Amino acid sequence: MHIKFFFFLLLNCFTSLLYAQDNFFPQLPDGLGLSNQLEYSYDYELKREIFENWFNLDYRYNIFSAGIRFDIFQPNDPNPAISRGKVIYADIAFKYIEAEIGDVEEGMKVTAGNFYSLFGRGLILKSYENRNIRIDNNLLGVKIEGYYAGLKLIALTGMAENFYAERKDILHAVDLEYKIVNDLKISGSFASNDPEEDVARTMIGSIRIQPSIWNFDFYGEYGLKRNNDVKKEKFKNAANNIGEAYYSAANFYYGALSLVGEYKYYDNFIFGSYDGTIIYNNPPAIRKEYTYALLNRHPSPLNQNNEKGFQVEANYSFASETFLTVSYGETKTLGSDSYYQKVLGVNQPVRLQLKESFIQLNHTWNENIKTIAAFGYSEERDANTKNITPILENYFYIDEINTIKLIIEHQHTTDKTTTEKYYTDVATLEYLRSPLLSISVVSEMQTKEPDPGKTIRRFWNFIQFGYTLGEHTNLILLIGTRQAGNICIGGVCRYEPEFSGIEIKMFTRF
Amino acid sequence: MKLLITVLIIIVSLNINAQRKAPNFKLENLDGKFVELKNFTGKGPLLISFWATWCKPCVEELEEYKKLYSDYKGNGFNIIAISTDDEKTVAKVKPFVKSKDYNFTILLDTNSEVARKYYVQNVPYTFLLDEKGNIVYSHLGYKKGDELQVKKKVETLLTSASDKTSD
Repeated sequence: MHIKFFFFLLLNCFTSLLYAQDNFFPQLPDGLGLSNQLEYSYDYELKREIFENWFNLDYRYNIFSAGIRFDIFQPNDPNPAISRGKVIYADIAFKYIEAEIGDVEEGMKVTAGNFYSLFGRGLILKSYENRNIRIDNNLLGVKIEGYYAGLKLIALTGMAENFYAERKDILHAVDLEYKIVNDLKISGSFASNDPEEDVARTMIGSIRIQPSIWNFDFYGEYGLKRNNDVKKEKFKNAANNIGEAYYSAANFYYGALSLVGEYKYYDNFIFGSYDGTIIYNNPPAIRKEYTYALLNRHPSPLNQNNEKGFQVEANYSFASETFLTVSYGETKTLGSDSYYQKVLGVNQPVRLQLKESFIQLNHTWNENIKTIAAFGYSEERDANTKNITPILENYFYIDEINTIKLIIEHQHTTDKTTTEKYYTDVATLEYLRSPLLSISVVSEMQTKEPDPGKTIRRFWNFIQFGYTLGEHTNLILLIGTRQAGNICIGGVCRYEPEFSGIEIKMFTRF
Repeated sequence: MKLLITVLIIIVSLNINAQRKAPNFKLENLDGKFVELKNFTGKGPLLISFWATWCKPCVEELEEYKKLYSDYKGNGFNIIAISTDDEKTVAKVKPFVKSKDYNFTILLDTNSEVARKYYVQNVPYTFLLDEKGNIVYSHLGYKKGDELQVKKKVETLLTSASDKTSD
């Protein structure tokens, strides 16, 4: 069955390329846009097929636009946090109509239907979709955005889908930003949920300031959370607030040097639905975003109820050929005086949650060879591991359009609970031919030594083909076995189970 | 059944053909000023690149676009690089751009509002617009040599624009 399928697919790719100028489908009418993302996988070991498809259709005419997103999952992701218990799903998951009037200085936009929104850096509200980690907390309701004389206003009311695919909790939110002068902005946000049940609403608000002076930029935001039920039950009305948060970021740049420093303090600051299955806010996690597989293997998810910490990063371009990045960050839990511990009625000491340092040097030797050397060190509490990770990446530019890339990653992990040590090695060999083709061979080996003299090795190997068809379609085919791991984006993680089989991903857009 | 649906979707996707007008958008630049796409169109070819600070191919690609911009900016060619860094990494965009000395327009799309309008799920993603604001070329990802195709397309657009002027 699968052989027939691949033969058919190859034949179609070939004929599509041959007759690219004579496609039998008509051109799309003006104003219409569409995209389709398809993911299909078959796991040989588990005998499990997963089919997922997202189809977008949008139409724009003058000041109006409207669109839908039709989602199909059969069966959905096996992770219940993602599937929401559904085995088969086919429905319009997102629909909107929008009108926009005015220009860049003075204008207004009204959206009815499903929408996303972000206030500041997400301390109060972040409604977003990230398909890579299967997160979509879109709101169904009305959103109004207005711009006038340096003022920017966003006001919205809507409902997000909970774990049981029901929209019950109503969210009301407003954000007002004012540019006093060119280099100074002040803003305020407020949000409140209106639970269907007869319970107190949670209110959350913040103020923020963004000055820029010479080569220095600053962002500071301070927020508070209130809920009368929690205030009465946990604080005996002795405190008005039940949560507090602040986040600040400072940048400095001078010539080839740039510095970024960030600080966070999130105390009992998750803002969610009454049933706890929707989270409306998502402040900066202040964790390094890595592009290498092994550096994401032991992640530390964001906990906006109980963490404080900082991260500093420096970048320096020595010349156009050499670029250096150095970063260091720490995240700790909060002390016993925190709202979080008072609400839970516990008394826990401050503990290190995550410590990470990273250094990366990019150097272009000549027009044919480029090297990236990186080194990461991390300690994280969830899995209680210490990880040392050196990485070497080399680019060999054969000519103007052909490249060979070799990445070697090694990770030495110590389990601090059992003192067990193990090693993971990943080798990636990639051939890239612009603009159409890429072929990657990825091999991973894990070595464990449970007893002296006894070595256990496990291997995962896959080959991946990438092909671009007609400027509008990208096709990726993966065959082989892949180690389990986390896909983490900004402190939000999704666990990908071990996989043995074939996977097809196709993305088309017009 | 799932396999059949997969095959059908692939076949339709491969055979359909279309060109569309670039959706207008309004985003903040690095100085906090709002910038609108319609103020950039009508002057010559415009390249829109979606990128992020944490994305290595994006950075490689932007280095090539920096050269392209230096070569053709005098002829009416312009570049808008839209950073899709979200609230977690947006603090790094301005320092990064300054240290790299990019001299084209950088805009911030922190909640991917514009990326969604352009169906950008992954970066880097390049769109080339003609003078009328039609998307004449798009490309997902970056491999060394992709910039040669973009350069060729920009030259074609500039030549056809100058031919129309001389007519």
